Amino acid sequence: MEKANIYAGQLFVLMFIFELGSALLIPLGIEAKQDVWLAIFFGMLGGLLLFFVHLRLHLYYPDKTPPEFVKELLGKFFGTVVACIYTVYFLYIAARVLRDFGEMLVTFAYNETPLFIVNALFLLTVVYGVYKGIEVIARTGELLFVILYALAIAGFVLVVVSGLIDFSYLQPVLEDGFKPVLQTVFTETWYVPFGEIIVFTMIYPYVKNKKAMKKAGIIAILLSGVNLIVTMSINIAVLGVELTARTQFPLLNTIHSIQIAEFLERLDVFFMIALIIGGFIKISLFFYAGVISVSVICNVKNKSKLVYPIGIVVLFISLTQASSYAEHMYEGITIVPLYMHLPLQVIVPVFLLIVAFIKNRHKKEQSL
Amino acid sequence: MTFKLRKLSKARTTSSKSNEDEGAKTEKNEPLSDSLAQNVEAVKQKTGNSADISIREITLNDQAHTKAAVVFVEGIVDQQAIDDFLIHSLINDDDLKKNPADNILETIAEKVVALGELTRVHNHSELFQALFNGETVVLIEGFSEGVSTDTKGGESRSVDEPPTEISLRGPREGFTESIRTNTSLVRRRIKNEKLWVKSITLGKVTNTDVEIMYIDGLAESDIVQEVENRLNRINTDSILESGYIEELIEDQTATTFPTIAHSERPDVVTGNLLEGKIAIFIDGTPFVLMVPAVFVQFFQSVDDYYSRFDIATSIRLLRIIIFITSLFAPAVYVAATTFHQEMIPTQLLIVLAAQREAAPLPAVVEAILMEIIFEVLREAGVRMPKAVGQTISIVGALVIGQAAVQAGIVSPAMVIVVAVTAIASFATPSYNIAIAARLIRFVNMIAAATFGFYGIILTFIVLLIHLCSLRSFGVPYMAPLAPFDASGAGDTIIRMPWWKVKKRPALTVDGNVMRQGDNQKPSPPTDRTMK
Repeated sequence: MEKANIYAGQLFVLMFIFELGSALLIPLGIEAKQDVWLAIFFGMLGGLLLFFVHLRLHLYYPDKTPPEFVKELLGKFFGTVVACIYTVYFLYIAARVLRDFGEMLVTFAYNETPLFIVNALFLLTVVYGVYKGIEVIARTGELLFVILYALAIAGFVLVVVSGLIDFSYLQPVLEDGFKPVLQTVFTETWYVPFGEIIVFTMIYPYVKNKKAMKKAGIIAILLSGVNLIVTMSINIAVLGVELTARTQFPLLNTIHSIQIAEFLERLDVFFMIALIIGGFIKISLFFYAGVISVSVICNVKNKSKLVYPIGIVVLFISLTQASSYAEHMYEGITIVPLYMHLPLQVIVPVFLLIVAFIKNRHKKEQSL
Repeated sequence: MTFKLRKLSKARTTSSKSNEDEGAKTEKNEPLSDSLAQNVEAVKQKTGNSADISIREITLNDQAHTKAAVVFVEGIVDQQAIDDFLIHSLINDDDLKKNPADNILETIAEKVVALGELTRVHNHSELFQALFNGETVVLIEGFSEGVSTDTKGGESRSVDEPPTEISLRGPREGFTESIRTNTSLVRRRIKNEKLWVKSITLGKVTNTDVEIMYIDGLAESDIVQEVENRLNRINTDSILESGYIEELIEDQTATTFPTIAHSERPDVVTGNLLEGKIAIFIDGTPFVLMVPAVFVQFFQSVDDYYSRFDIATSIRLLRIIIFITSLFAPAVYVAATTFHQEMIPTQLLIVLAAQREAAPLPAVVEAILMEIIFEVLREAGVRMPKAVGQTISIVGALVIGQAAVQAGIVSPAMVIVVAVTAIASFATPSYNIAIAARLIRFVNMIAAATFGFYGIILTFIVLLIHLCSLRSFGVPYMAPLAPFDASGAGDTIIRMPWWKVKKRPALTVDGNVMRQGDNQKPSPPTDRTMK
């Protein structure tokens, strides 16, 4: 853990961009068809639930990062094992997200460029940010937030003005009942992006004002949820369910559809800026959490020494974890949510919370 | 190996420093002797009989015939004052004529000298310090101390309109090379005992006067302390301009962005002092440093504060857009024409493509070439005598602009882009941030040439990270935007009207944040019966 201090407003900004991150770009929860907004909504509620679990756990040890306090909860051996698993998880997800963004860029703009170069450049930016520390990432986030929101509003206005929106695509509501919606929630939207806020347990100790922190977290989750709902609904209202489901990046197609006065068209660069800003914050936070975990587990005082070697590891994982985009997506849809997200985002934190509850109650009895 | 070397060199510098200090001590701190002749001889010998050291020997009293010498440096003293109030009095004063030799020094100090400030000098170091500060020293036979009077004067530039910071509305005064004039210009604007000035002498050879000025109770005491510490740390032979000090005390050296602001205008310095900042005056330069400095400060001009807030806000927004243009315009052109042709509207693309077809060079080479030529023109123009300046503009406009296009070496669109960038880089009010943007522009062009918009966006994010990581005397460089601070945000890229700006920026001000009372918004009576 480095010596830093970030305030609740910065946490809000980071959480907000983090949640939008990649979720804004992919066909999130499209298995629920036109009821995707419901799927995201329930995912958001689930995310709030997880946020409270993480927060409660954090408040038992307000000044400690998870790798520090799991040792107290589970004993030295099991604590270290759990901390190591989380470290690998954070770094793996950082690599996955990096792969996502690299693949996107290669697919839609740089067909000739090797994935390695695209990923390496992106990671270099992330490494620079993480090297400078969480305070700098938070401050950069504040500026990026303004840019992202300005772009979002401009894009929204342009889509509306172009007259592309057809609300009949969003009907009928609940055509096949609640089952497909809930299925989407439990296989996708709960974990990505909302469950991923588990990574913020590494950031909470830097925030001094815990009350404002709770508020910032709730507002960030709600606002990002609403933004995702609006974005996905617009995507479907513009493209229709079929096209949204088939395309890799529905938002890109929506932006492509904008045509105003034969001048404002093909605003790919809007999409690209949003993509890179979201990706930067998301990868930075996962990577940062991984670096801090390693520094805590291995007792490294100067975490900036770890940034470059771990950066190379992440870059390597991002390239080797799947041999093709199809394999990458298959892993992302079938394996990662079930075997990584569900246990590490939900089961382990709840288990830790129960342990913490019992332990601390025991402590109180002792002191009495 | 490198580590060892560094250690060695460190040891060497410290040892040499202590040697010099010892040498200085033994040489300078000799006490004055009783004998006037010896003292005068010492002055002559130590100054190498310099032509501008004037020594006037006079006889003070009638009976004892006590000799005295008036020593001063010509040119830096007020000759008239010395003649009228010192030498005249010393020769003609009746008390003095009758005075016995033994307490003549007291009489001179208390009764004879008709000048403001008076101090005693006891040793050579004090004597020379006084002399070179423009004081006049009277040495008297039989006394091992001298009397030094303040006769500072001589030629200096008068207070004039500053050439580098011109404003449409506002005071026309600018700082001069004299430190006392400069502090007085600020003192006249803040008539308050809380305006404090601390003095320090820097430069082992030049002995330059440096003064820090701040408003006690507004300036954060930690920052004042930090400024003093950093100034005291300076151990160099000379301070010739504020730039020397700027480089020696800044927080981050590996950056092109200025983390210390400077100004030639007393009203700018006054405004900064009122926000809790600290001004550093250096004798011999009209540029006054101000710390801590934040990024947005470099986009604010004095005119903003003297014109209506809505006008000021829109002009500030324009400046930010201009700054971003000067950073990214050529890069975006290169990226759009080489990588992302599909983003250009069809009609425009046809025009551009027709031009590009004939151009022999790739867009990025064209861009870098033209940008370098522009930089050369600018550099040549800066130091060109006015009479020759026209030649440069003709060569620039005709030969390079028109001829290059007609010869088909560069495309006309590129000339437009470079011209827009050039104008944009001059529209930023602060020269030192505009020049930072110039350098980064080349990095952006290379990034755009290799990776298109992806490269530009990544360099932009790296630039943001870099800016956010900078600090100026502990204050984050991007404050009050990031970290966002509501109390300071009213005067950033926008300017709120004065009646809205109730607080001072909390990051630089020490607790005392309230700037004005409530209800400052003017509300004239609604019925217009008032005559």
